[in-house]
Amino acid sequence: MKQENFQERHHDEWVALDLWLAQRTRPKSLQRLQDGAGLFGDLEFPSMYRRVCQHLALAERRGYSALLIERLQDLVQRGHLVLYRSPAPHWQRIVDFFAADFPRLVRSQWRVMTLAALLFFVPALGIIGLLQVRPELAHSLFAPAELAQYENMYDPASSSEKLGRESGTDLKMFGFYIFNNVSIGFRTFASGLLAGVGAIVVLLMNGLLIGGVAGHLTAIGYGEPFWRFVVGHSAPELLSIVIAGGAGLQIGMALIAPGRRTRSRALVEAGVIGGKLVLGVFAMLVFAAFVEAFWSSIVWMPNVVKYSVGGALWLAIPLWLWRGGRGQAPKHGAVINANDVGRS
Amino acid sequence: MLDTLTLVETPEGIRLRLRAAGVMPRAAAWAVDFAVRVGVIWIIGTALALLGETGTGLYLLLLFVLFWLYPVLFEVLRDGQTIGKKALSLRVINANGSPVTWMGSIVRNLLRVVDMLPFFYGFGLVAGLIDTQSRRIGDIVAGTLVVHVGNPNQHLAAPQVPVVHAPITLHADEQKSIVAFAERAQQLTVERQQELAALLPMLTESHGALAVQRLLGMANAFLGRR
Repeated sequence: MKQENFQERHHDEWVALDLWLAQRTRPKSLQRLQDGAGLFGDLEFPSMYRRVCQHLALAERRGYSALLIERLQDLVQRGHLVLYRSPAPHWQRIVDFFAADFPRLVRSQWRVMTLAALLFFVPALGIIGLLQVRPELAHSLFAPAELAQYENMYDPASSSEKLGRESGTDLKMFGFYIFNNVSIGFRTFASGLLAGVGAIVVLLMNGLLIGGVAGHLTAIGYGEPFWRFVVGHSAPELLSIVIAGGAGLQIGMALIAPGRRTRSRALVEAGVIGGKLVLGVFAMLVFAAFVEAFWSSIVWMPNVVKYSVGGALWLAIPLWLWRGGRGQAPKHGAVINANDVGRS
Repeated sequence: MLDTLTLVETPEGIRLRLRAAGVMPRAAAWAVDFAVRVGVIWIIGTALALLGETGTGLYLLLLFVLFWLYPVLFEVLRDGQTIGKKALSLRVINANGSPVTWMGSIVRNLLRVVDMLPFFYGFGLVAGLIDTQSRRIGDIVAGTLVVHVGNPNQHLAAPQVPVVHAPITLHADEQKSIVAFAERAQQLTVERQQELAALLPMLTESHGALAVQRLLGMANAFLGRR
Protein backbone atom coordinates (compact mmCIF):
# COMPACT_ATOMS: atom_id res chain seq x y z
CA MET A 1 0.00 0.00 0.00
CA LYS A 2 1.28 3.44 -0.85
CA GLN A 3 1.97 5.75 2.05
CA GLU A 4 -0.65 8.29 1.01
CA ASN A 5 -3.46 5.70 1.07
CA PHE A 6 -2.24 4.37 4.39
CA GLN A 7 -2.28 7.87 5.87
CA GLU A 8 -5.73 8.61 4.50
CA ARG A 9 -7.16 5.37 5.85
CA HIS A 10 -5.88 5.78 9.42
CA HIS A 11 -5.70 9.54 9.74
CA ASP A 12 -8.84 9.80 11.90
CA GLU A 13 -7.63 7.20 14.39
CA TRP A 14 -4.32 9.02 14.86
CA VAL A 15 -5.99 12.36 15.38
CA ALA A 16 -8.38 10.79 17.92
CA LEU A 17 -5.53 9.17 19.86
CA ASP A 18 -3.55 12.40 19.76
CA LEU A 19 -6.48 14.37 21.20
CA TRP A 20 -7.24 11.69 23.78
CA LEU A 21 -3.62 11.70 24.98
CA ALA A 22 -3.58 15.50 25.10
CA GLN A 23 -6.69 15.46 27.32
CA ARG A 24 -5.41 12.60 29.38
CA THR A 25 -1.98 13.96 30.20
CA ARG A 26 -3.39 17.27 31.29
CA PRO A 27 -2.63 17.27 35.01
CA LYS A 28 -6.22 17.73 36.21
CA SER A 29 -7.03 14.38 37.73
CA LEU A 30 -10.76 15.07 37.70
CA GLN A 31 -10.77 15.26 33.93
CA ARG A 32 -9.20 11.86 33.79
CA LEU A 33 -12.20 10.19 35.36
CA GLN A 34 -14.49 10.97 32.51
CA ASP A 35 -13.91 9.45 29.13
CA GLY A 36 -12.09 11.56 26.57
CA ALA A 37 -14.92 13.82 25.47
CA GLY A 38 -16.47 12.60 22.23
CA LEU A 39 -13.41 10.59 21.16
CA PHE A 40 -13.43 7.12 22.61
CA GLY A 41 -13.77 5.67 26.09
CA ASP A 42 -10.87 5.06 28.43
CA LEU A 43 -11.54 1.33 28.21
CA GLU A 44 -10.93 1.43 24.48
CA PHE A 45 -7.57 3.11 24.86
CA PRO A 46 -5.45 -0.09 25.09
CA SER A 47 -6.84 -1.52 21.85
CA MET A 48 -6.51 1.88 20.20
CA TYR A 49 -2.92 2.08 21.36
CA ARG A 50 -2.14 -1.40 20.07
CA ARG A 51 -3.61 -0.51 16.67
CA VAL A 52 -1.31 2.48 16.37
CA CYS A 53 1.61 0.29 17.45
CA GLN A 54 0.71 -1.99 14.59
CA HIS A 55 0.54 0.96 12.21
CA LEU A 56 4.02 1.97 13.33
CA ALA A 57 5.38 -1.52 12.78
CA LEU A 58 3.80 -1.60 9.30
CA ALA A 59 5.13 1.85 8.46
CA GLU A 60 8.65 0.86 9.45
CA ARG A 61 8.45 -2.45 7.60
CA ARG A 62 7.17 -0.83 4.43
CA GLY A 63 9.76 1.93 4.57
CA TYR A 64 7.35 4.85 4.80
CA SER A 65 8.81 8.30 5.18
CA ALA A 66 10.61 9.60 8.25
CA LEU A 67 7.89 12.19 8.80
CA LEU A 68 5.14 9.60 9.20
CA ILE A 69 7.26 7.29 11.34
CA GLU A 70 8.17 10.13 13.69
CA ARG A 71 4.55 11.11 14.05
CA LEU A 72 3.59 7.54 14.95
CA GLN A 73 6.60 7.20 17.27
CA ASP A 74 5.48 10.29 19.12
CA LEU A 75 1.94 8.92 19.55
CA VAL A 76 3.24 5.54 20.69
CA GLN A 77 5.66 7.00 23.20
CA ARG A 78 3.01 9.15 24.80
CA GLY A 79 0.64 6.20 24.83
CA HIS A 80 3.30 4.00 26.40
CA LEU A 81 3.71 6.45 29.28
CA VAL A 82 -0.04 6.33 29.94
CA LEU A 83 -0.52 2.58 29.56
CA TYR A 84 2.45 1.48 31.65
CA ARG A 85 1.90 3.89 34.52
CA SER A 86 2.75 2.29 37.87
CA PRO A 87 -0.27 1.94 40.16
CA ALA A 88 -0.89 4.66 42.73
CA PRO A 89 0.38 3.70 46.20
CA HIS A 90 -2.36 2.52 48.55
CA TRP A 91 -2.49 3.30 52.26
CA GLN A 92 -2.65 -0.40 52.99
CA ARG A 93 0.66 -0.90 51.21
CA ILE A 94 2.29 1.81 53.31
CA VAL A 95 1.10 0.11 56.50
CA ASP A 96 2.25 -3.27 55.15
CA PHE A 97 5.62 -1.82 54.32
CA PHE A 98 6.37 -0.64 57.84
CA ALA A 99 4.72 -3.56 59.61
CA ALA A 100 6.20 -6.34 57.52
CA ASP A 101 8.20 -5.53 54.39
CA PHE A 102 10.78 -3.28 56.01
CA PRO A 103 11.71 -5.56 58.95
CA ARG A 104 11.80 -8.49 56.55
CA LEU A 105 14.09 -6.57 54.23
CA VAL A 106 16.42 -5.68 57.12
CA ARG A 107 16.59 -9.36 58.12
CA SER A 108 17.25 -10.45 54.55
CA GLN A 109 20.32 -8.20 54.62
CA TRP A 110 21.47 -9.48 58.02
CA ARG A 111 25.12 -9.86 57.00
CA VAL A 112 25.69 -6.18 56.14
CA MET A 113 23.43 -5.10 59.01
CA THR A 114 25.53 -7.06 61.51
CA LEU A 115 28.70 -5.64 60.01
CA ALA A 116 27.30 -2.10 60.20
CA ALA A 117 26.23 -2.63 63.81
CA LEU A 118 29.70 -3.88 64.72
CA LEU A 119 31.36 -0.97 62.90
CA PHE A 120 29.24 1.46 64.89
CA PHE A 121 28.74 -0.04 68.34
CA VAL A 122 32.21 -1.56 68.92
CA PRO A 123 34.08 1.77 68.68
CA ALA A 124 31.25 3.59 70.50
CA LEU A 125 31.13 1.24 73.49
CA GLY A 126 34.89 0.75 73.40
CA ILE A 127 35.60 4.46 73.67
CA ILE A 128 33.03 4.90 76.47
CA GLY A 129 34.80 2.19 78.47
CA LEU A 130 38.27 3.49 77.63
CA LEU A 131 37.45 7.04 78.72
CA GLN A 132 36.35 5.79 82.15
CA VAL A 133 39.83 4.33 82.65
CA ARG A 134 41.87 7.03 80.92
CA PRO A 135 39.72 10.22 80.78
CA GLU A 136 42.61 12.32 79.41
CA LEU A 137 42.22 10.59 76.01
CA ALA A 138 39.15 12.79 75.37
CA HIS A 139 41.56 15.59 74.55
CA SER A 140 42.98 13.66 71.61
CA LEU A 141 39.46 13.11 70.23
CA PHE A 142 38.03 16.62 70.56
CA ALA A 143 39.34 20.17 70.40
CA PRO A 144 39.17 22.08 73.73
CA ALA A 145 36.43 24.37 72.39
CA GLU A 146 34.23 21.38 71.48
CA LEU A 147 34.75 19.81 74.89
CA ALA A 148 33.84 23.06 76.59
CA GLN A 149 30.67 23.28 74.51
CA TYR A 150 29.55 19.74 75.39
CA GLU A 151 30.35 20.30 79.05
CA ASN A 152 28.39 23.54 79.04
CA MET A 153 25.38 21.83 77.40
CA TYR A 154 25.11 19.10 80.04
CA ASP A 155 26.40 20.90 83.11
CA PRO A 156 24.22 19.66 86.00
CA ALA A 157 24.78 22.99 87.78
CA SER A 158 23.39 25.11 84.95
CA SER A 159 19.87 26.36 85.34
CA SER A 160 18.78 25.75 81.74
CA GLU A 161 15.12 24.91 81.46
CA LYS A 162 15.70 22.52 78.58
CA LEU A 163 17.94 19.49 78.46
CA GLY A 164 20.55 18.99 75.77
CA ARG A 165 20.52 22.42 74.20
CA GLU A 166 21.41 25.97 75.01
CA SER A 167 18.36 27.66 73.57
CA GLY A 168 15.66 27.24 71.00
CA THR A 169 12.04 26.17 71.06
CA ASP A 170 10.99 22.57 70.57
CA LEU A 171 9.76 23.29 67.04
CA LYS A 172 13.00 24.96 66.00
CA MET A 173 15.00 22.04 67.28
CA PHE A 174 12.64 19.61 65.52
CA GLY A 175 13.38 21.34 62.23
CA PHE A 176 17.08 21.24 62.98
CA TYR A 177 17.08 17.55 63.95
CA ILE A 178 15.08 16.56 60.85
CA PHE A 179 17.35 18.41 58.48
CA ASN A 180 20.55 17.35 60.18
CA ASN A 181 19.88 13.75 61.18
CA VAL A 182 17.97 12.71 58.09
CA SER A 183 20.63 14.23 55.85
CA ILE A 184 23.30 12.31 57.77
CA GLY A 185 21.29 9.11 57.37
CA PHE A 186 20.83 9.62 53.63
CA ARG A 187 24.50 10.45 53.15
CA THR A 188 25.56 7.37 55.09
CA PHE A 189 23.58 5.28 52.62
CA ALA A 190 24.69 7.09 49.48
CA SER A 191 28.37 7.15 50.40
CA GLY A 192 28.25 3.35 50.51
CA LEU A 193 28.35 3.41 46.72
CA LEU A 194 32.04 4.34 46.98
CA ALA A 195 32.80 0.61 47.29
CA GLY A 196 31.41 0.70 50.82
CA VAL A 197 34.29 2.84 52.08
CA GLY A 198 32.15 5.92 52.66
CA ALA A 199 29.62 4.05 54.79
CA ILE A 200 32.41 2.39 56.81
CA VAL A 201 34.08 5.75 57.49
CA VAL A 202 30.79 7.42 58.46
CA LEU A 203 29.84 4.54 60.79
CA LEU A 204 33.25 4.45 62.48
CA MET A 205 33.43 8.23 62.86
CA ASN A 206 29.94 8.49 64.28
CA GLY A 207 30.64 5.62 66.67
CA LEU A 208 33.83 7.30 67.89
CA LEU A 209 32.29 10.77 68.25
CA ILE A 210 29.06 9.72 69.93
CA GLY A 211 30.91 7.29 72.19
CA GLY A 212 33.53 9.95 72.90
CA VAL A 213 30.99 12.55 74.04
CA ALA A 214 29.10 10.01 76.14
CA GLY A 215 32.29 8.61 77.70
CA HIS A 216 33.77 12.01 78.45
CA LEU A 217 30.63 13.44 80.05
CA THR A 218 30.18 10.30 82.14
CA ALA A 219 33.84 10.38 83.21
CA ILE A 220 33.67 13.97 84.45
CA GLY A 221 30.42 13.37 86.32
CA TYR A 222 28.01 15.08 83.92
CA GLY A 223 26.53 11.75 82.95
CA GLU A 224 23.16 12.17 84.62
CA PRO A 225 21.72 15.04 82.51
CA PHE A 226 23.35 13.60 79.39
CA TRP A 227 21.88 10.11 79.72
CA ARG A 228 18.56 11.57 80.79
CA PHE A 229 18.50 13.53 77.53
CA VAL A 230 19.64 10.89 75.06
CA VAL A 231 18.00 7.75 76.43
CA GLY A 232 14.65 8.43 74.78
CA HIS A 233 15.71 8.97 71.19
CA SER A 234 18.90 6.91 71.20
CA ALA A 235 17.24 3.67 70.04
CA PRO A 236 15.54 4.93 66.85
CA GLU A 237 18.39 7.26 66.00
CA LEU A 238 21.36 4.94 66.44
CA LEU A 239 19.60 1.93 64.94
CA SER A 240 18.50 3.90 61.89
CA ILE A 241 22.07 5.10 61.30
CA VAL A 242 23.19 1.47 61.50
CA ILE A 243 20.52 0.40 58.99
CA ALA A 244 21.45 3.26 56.66
CA GLY A 245 25.07 2.15 56.92
CA GLY A 246 24.07 -1.44 56.20
CA ALA A 247 22.09 -0.29 53.15
CA GLY A 248 25.17 1.62 51.99
CA LEU A 249 27.39 -1.43 52.55
CA GLN A 250 25.15 -3.71 50.50
CA ILE A 251 25.24 -1.27 47.59
CA GLY A 252 29.04 -1.18 47.91
CA MET A 253 29.07 -4.98 47.94
CA ALA A 254 27.05 -5.06 44.74
CA LEU A 255 29.77 -2.95 43.15
CA ILE A 256 32.68 -5.03 44.50
CA ALA A 257 31.18 -8.51 44.28
CA PRO A 258 28.17 -8.61 41.92
CA GLY A 259 28.19 -12.41 41.90
CA ARG A 260 26.61 -14.03 38.88
CA ARG A 261 25.03 -10.82 37.63
CA THR A 262 26.46 -8.03 35.57
CA ARG A 263 27.74 -5.18 37.67
CA SER A 264 25.08 -2.77 36.45
CA ARG A 265 22.28 -5.30 37.06
CA ALA A 266 23.60 -5.93 40.58
CA LEU A 267 23.76 -2.18 41.21
CA VAL A 268 20.18 -1.66 40.05
CA GLU A 269 18.90 -4.43 42.33
CA ALA A 270 20.95 -3.15 45.26
CA GLY A 271 19.67 0.34 44.54
CA VAL A 272 16.06 -0.80 44.87
CA ILE A 273 16.77 -2.62 48.13
CA GLY A 274 18.73 0.39 49.40
CA GLY A 275 15.95 2.78 48.42
CA LYS A 276 13.39 0.77 50.40
CA LEU A 277 15.69 0.54 53.41
CA VAL A 278 16.26 4.29 53.30
CA LEU A 279 12.50 4.88 53.30
CA GLY A 280 12.31 3.00 56.60
CA VAL A 281 15.36 4.84 57.90
CA PHE A 282 13.68 8.11 57.00
CA ALA A 283 10.57 7.21 59.03
CA MET A 284 12.69 6.10 61.99
CA LEU A 285 14.72 9.32 61.92
CA VAL A 286 11.61 11.50 61.76
CA PHE A 287 10.32 9.61 64.78
CA ALA A 288 13.69 10.05 66.53
CA ALA A 289 13.71 13.78 65.76
CA PHE A 290 10.20 14.07 67.17
CA VAL A 291 11.17 12.31 70.40
CA GLU A 292 14.39 14.31 70.67
CA ALA A 293 12.70 17.66 70.21
CA PHE A 294 9.51 17.19 72.23
CA TRP A 295 10.23 14.46 74.79
CA SER A 296 13.95 14.21 75.56
CA SER A 297 14.25 17.89 76.42
CA ILE A 298 11.64 17.86 79.21
CA VAL A 299 13.49 18.56 82.46
CA TRP A 300 10.88 17.81 85.13
CA MET A 301 10.19 14.23 84.00
CA PRO A 302 11.34 11.79 86.71
CA ASN A 303 14.32 9.65 85.83
CA VAL A 304 12.41 6.45 86.17
CA VAL A 305 9.96 7.47 83.42
CA LYS A 306 12.72 8.63 81.09
CA TYR A 307 14.76 5.48 81.48
CA SER A 308 11.70 3.23 81.21
CA VAL A 309 10.62 4.86 77.95
CA GLY A 310 14.15 4.69 76.57
CA GLY A 311 14.45 1.05 77.61
CA ALA A 312 11.07 0.22 76.14
CA LEU A 313 12.14 1.70 72.80
CA TRP A 314 15.42 -0.24 72.91
CA LEU A 315 13.30 -3.39 73.36
CA ALA A 316 10.50 -2.52 70.94
CA ILE A 317 12.54 -1.50 67.90
CA PRO A 318 14.80 -4.57 67.80
CA LEU A 319 11.73 -6.71 68.48
CA TRP A 320 9.95 -5.05 65.55
CA LEU A 321 12.94 -5.62 63.29
CA TRP A 322 13.28 -9.20 64.47
CA ARG A 323 9.65 -10.34 64.42
CA GLY A 324 7.91 -7.91 62.04
CA GLY A 325 6.35 -9.63 59.05
CA ARG A 326 7.15 -13.12 60.30
CA GLY A 327 4.71 -15.91 59.59
CA GLN A 328 2.94 -14.05 56.77
CA ALA A 329 3.42 -15.02 53.19
CA PRO A 330 5.39 -12.29 51.40
CA LYS A 331 2.97 -10.34 49.26
CA HIS A 332 3.66 -9.77 45.60
CA GLY A 333 7.42 -10.06 45.84
CA ALA A 334 7.93 -7.89 48.88
CA VAL A 335 11.71 -8.04 48.82
CA ILE A 336 12.38 -7.28 45.19
CA ASN A 337 9.49 -6.28 43.04
CA ALA A 338 10.38 -6.97 39.44
CA ASN A 339 8.44 -3.89 38.34
CA ASP A 340 10.55 -1.67 40.53
CA VAL A 341 13.80 -2.75 38.97
CA GLY A 342 13.04 -0.52 36.06
CA ARG A 343 14.29 -2.78 33.28
CA SER A 344 12.39 -5.25 31.24
CA MET B 1 28.82 6.97 20.10
CA LEU B 2 27.75 10.36 18.86
CA ASP B 3 24.10 9.39 18.66
CA THR B 4 22.34 8.97 21.98
CA LEU B 5 19.33 7.24 20.43
CA THR B 6 18.32 4.22 22.48
CA LEU B 7 15.91 1.65 21.08
CA VAL B 8 13.70 -0.08 23.64
CA GLU B 9 11.47 -2.93 22.59
CA THR B 10 7.98 -2.82 24.07
CA PRO B 11 5.53 -5.69 24.69
CA GLU B 12 3.71 -4.61 21.52
CA GLY B 13 6.75 -5.64 19.51
CA ILE B 14 7.71 -2.15 18.41
CA ARG B 15 10.78 -0.18 19.35
CA LEU B 16 10.56 3.11 21.20
CA ARG B 17 13.21 5.63 20.22
CA LEU B 18 14.46 7.35 23.34
CA ARG B 19 16.82 10.27 22.90
CA ALA B 20 18.98 10.43 26.01
CA ALA B 21 19.75 13.99 27.09
CA GLY B 22 23.38 15.01 27.39
CA VAL B 23 25.20 16.70 30.25
CA MET B 24 24.62 20.28 29.11
CA PRO B 25 20.79 20.39 28.93
CA ARG B 26 20.62 18.48 32.19
CA ALA B 27 22.95 20.93 33.89
CA ALA B 28 20.82 23.79 32.57
CA ALA B 29 17.66 22.11 33.92
CA TRP B 30 19.37 21.69 37.28
CA ALA B 31 20.31 25.38 37.27
CA VAL B 32 16.67 26.35 36.64
CA ASP B 33 15.53 24.09 39.49
CA PHE B 34 18.22 25.54 41.73
CA ALA B 35 17.10 29.08 40.94
CA VAL B 36 13.47 28.14 41.67
CA ARG B 37 14.40 26.62 44.99
CA VAL B 38 16.58 29.53 46.02
CA GLY B 39 13.73 31.87 45.10
CA VAL B 40 11.22 29.92 47.19
CA ILE B 41 13.62 29.76 50.15
CA TRP B 42 14.30 33.48 49.89
CA ILE B 43 10.63 34.52 49.77
CA ILE B 44 9.29 32.09 52.38
CA GLY B 45 12.43 32.43 54.48
CA THR B 46 11.93 36.19 54.72
CA ALA B 47 8.35 35.67 55.85
CA LEU B 48 9.33 32.99 58.36
CA ALA B 49 12.08 35.16 59.80
CA LEU B 50 9.31 37.35 61.24
CA LEU B 51 8.04 34.40 63.29
CA GLY B 52 11.19 34.07 65.36
CA GLU B 53 12.22 30.68 66.70
CA THR B 54 9.14 28.86 65.42
CA GLY B 55 9.91 30.33 62.02
CA THR B 56 13.45 28.96 62.18
CA GLY B 57 12.06 25.46 62.79
CA LEU B 58 9.65 25.74 59.86
CA TYR B 59 12.46 27.19 57.76
CA LEU B 60 14.65 24.16 58.40
CA LEU B 61 11.74 21.86 57.55
CA LEU B 62 11.29 23.80 54.31
CA LEU B 63 14.98 23.42 53.50
CA PHE B 64 14.66 19.70 54.05
CA VAL B 65 11.62 19.40 51.80
CA LEU B 66 13.17 21.46 49.00
CA PHE B 67 16.48 19.66 49.20
CA TRP B 68 15.34 16.05 49.39
CA LEU B 69 11.68 15.86 48.37
CA TYR B 70 11.24 18.49 45.64
CA PRO B 71 12.77 16.44 42.81
CA VAL B 72 11.06 13.21 43.87
CA LEU B 73 7.59 14.73 44.16
CA PHE B 74 7.85 16.55 40.85
CA GLU B 75 9.30 13.60 38.96
CA VAL B 76 6.65 11.14 40.12
CA LEU B 77 3.60 13.38 40.18
CA ARG B 78 4.34 15.59 37.15
CA ASP B 79 5.20 12.97 34.51
CA GLY B 80 8.92 12.88 35.17
CA GLN B 81 9.44 16.62 34.91
CA THR B 82 10.68 19.05 37.51
CA ILE B 83 10.23 22.72 36.68
CA GLY B 84 13.72 22.91 35.18
CA LYS B 85 13.29 19.72 33.16
CA LYS B 86 9.99 20.99 31.83
CA ALA B 87 11.63 24.25 30.79
CA LEU B 88 14.25 22.32 28.83
CA SER B 89 11.83 19.65 27.53
CA LEU B 90 13.47 16.81 29.43
CA ARG B 91 11.80 13.90 31.17
CA VAL B 92 12.91 11.21 33.62
CA ILE B 93 11.71 7.74 32.68
CA ASN B 94 12.62 4.18 33.57
CA ALA B 95 15.17 2.59 31.29
CA ASN B 96 12.37 0.47 29.78
CA GLY B 97 10.48 3.57 28.66
CA SER B 98 7.77 3.44 31.33
CA PRO B 99 7.05 6.36 33.69
CA VAL B 100 9.51 6.68 36.56
CA THR B 101 8.37 4.90 39.75
CA TRP B 102 8.56 6.18 43.33
CA MET B 103 11.45 3.88 44.11
CA GLY B 104 13.39 4.83 40.99
CA SER B 105 12.97 8.52 41.66
CA ILE B 106 13.88 8.21 45.35
CA VAL B 107 17.05 6.25 44.61
CA ARG B 108 18.24 8.51 41.79
CA ASN B 109 17.74 11.62 43.89
CA LEU B 110 19.29 10.17 47.05
CA LEU B 111 22.38 9.26 45.08
CA ARG B 112 22.87 12.86 44.04
CA VAL B 113 25.03 12.87 47.16
CA VAL B 114 27.49 10.57 45.38
CA ASP B 115 27.26 12.39 42.05
CA MET B 116 28.07 15.67 43.80
CA LEU B 117 31.43 14.33 44.97
CA PRO B 118 34.20 15.44 45.07
CA PHE B 119 32.76 18.89 44.27
CA PHE B 120 30.08 20.33 42.01
CA TYR B 121 28.74 17.10 40.46
CA GLY B 122 32.24 15.89 39.56
CA PHE B 123 31.42 12.17 39.60
CA GLY B 124 28.10 12.77 37.86
CA LEU B 125 29.85 14.71 35.10
CA VAL B 126 32.46 12.01 34.54
CA ALA B 127 29.82 9.26 34.56
CA GLY B 128 27.66 11.27 32.16
CA LEU B 129 30.54 11.76 29.75
CA ILE B 130 31.55 8.08 29.84
CA ASP B 131 28.08 6.54 29.66
CA THR B 132 26.59 6.27 26.16
CA GLN B 133 23.22 7.41 27.52
CA SER B 134 24.72 10.22 29.64
CA ARG B 135 23.46 8.68 32.85
CA ARG B 136 24.91 9.85 36.12
CA ILE B 137 25.63 7.32 38.86
CA GLY B 138 22.22 7.80 40.45
CA ASP B 139 20.53 7.03 37.13
CA ILE B 140 22.57 3.88 36.61
CA VAL B 141 21.72 2.55 40.07
CA ALA B 142 18.05 3.55 39.89
CA GLY B 143 17.65 2.23 36.34
CA THR B 144 16.36 5.56 35.04
CA LEU B 145 17.09 7.69 32.01
CA VAL B 146 16.69 11.40 31.22
CA VAL B 147 15.37 11.85 27.68
CA HIS B 148 14.43 14.68 25.38
CA VAL B 149 10.70 15.17 24.89
CA GLY B 150 9.38 16.04 21.47
CA ASN B 151 10.83 15.91 18.02
CA PRO B 152 14.32 17.14 17.17
CA ASN B 153 14.27 17.31 13.36
CA GLN B 154 11.54 19.49 11.99
CA HIS B 155 10.64 17.57 8.88
CA LEU B 156 7.78 19.04 6.88
CA ALA B 157 5.44 17.32 4.52
CA ALA B 158 6.91 16.88 1.06
CA PRO B 159 5.78 19.73 -1.25
CA GLN B 160 2.95 18.88 -3.62
CA VAL B 161 4.30 18.80 -7.18
CA PRO B 162 3.16 16.92 -10.31
CA VAL B 163 4.11 13.26 -10.18
CA VAL B 164 7.21 12.17 -12.12
CA HIS B 165 7.93 8.51 -12.76
CA ALA B 166 11.48 7.34 -12.15
CA PRO B 167 13.30 6.24 -15.33
CA ILE B 168 14.86 3.27 -13.50
CA THR B 169 13.47 0.97 -10.82
CA LEU B 170 14.55 2.02 -7.34
CA HIS B 171 15.06 -0.08 -4.24
CA ALA B 172 12.86 0.58 -1.18
CA ASP B 173 15.82 2.14 0.65
CA GLU B 174 16.58 4.38 -2.30
CA GLN B 175 12.96 5.45 -2.54
CA LYS B 176 13.06 6.29 1.16
CA SER B 177 16.10 8.53 0.66
CA ILE B 178 14.33 10.44 -2.13
CA VAL B 179 11.26 10.93 0.10
CA ALA B 180 13.50 12.04 2.99
CA PHE B 181 15.08 14.59 0.64
CA ALA B 182 11.63 15.92 -0.27
CA GLU B 183 10.63 16.23 3.40
CA ARG B 184 13.85 18.08 4.22
CA ALA B 185 13.76 20.24 1.10
CA GLN B 186 12.12 23.23 2.75
CA GLN B 187 14.87 23.43 5.35
CA LEU B 188 17.58 23.60 2.69
CA THR B 189 18.62 26.57 0.58
CA VAL B 190 17.83 26.42 -3.13
CA GLU B 191 21.56 26.07 -3.91
CA ARG B 192 21.92 23.14 -1.53
CA GLN B 193 18.84 21.45 -2.99
CA GLN B 194 20.35 21.75 -6.47
CA GLU B 195 23.72 20.55 -5.26
CA LEU B 196 22.14 17.41 -3.77
CA ALA B 197 19.99 16.81 -6.84
CA ALA B 198 23.09 17.10 -9.04
CA LEU B 199 24.47 13.96 -7.34
CA LEU B 200 21.89 11.89 -9.24
CA PRO B 201 22.21 12.82 -12.93
CA MET B 202 21.16 9.30 -14.04
CA LEU B 203 17.92 9.63 -12.17
CA THR B 204 16.94 13.22 -12.82
CA GLU B 205 18.24 13.40 -16.40
CA SER B 206 18.43 17.19 -16.05
CA HIS B 207 20.21 20.02 -14.21
CA GLY B 208 19.59 22.75 -11.70
CA ALA B 209 16.09 23.67 -10.59
CA LEU B 210 14.49 21.19 -12.97
CA ALA B 211 16.45 18.32 -11.37
CA VAL B 212 15.10 19.31 -7.95
CA GLN B 213 11.55 19.47 -9.33
CA ARG B 214 11.92 16.01 -10.86
CA LEU B 215 13.21 14.55 -7.58
CA LEU B 216 10.29 16.09 -5.67
CA GLY B 217 7.93 14.66 -8.31
CA MET B 218 9.39 11.20 -7.84
CA ALA B 219 9.01 11.55 -4.08
CA ASN B 220 5.33 12.33 -4.65
CA ALA B 221 5.07 9.20 -6.79
CA PHE B 222 6.69 7.06 -4.10
CA LEU B 223 4.34 8.49 -1.49
CA GLY B 224 1.44 7.43 -3.71
CA ARG B 225 0.09 10.89 -4.47
CA ARG B 226 -1.78 11.46 -7.70
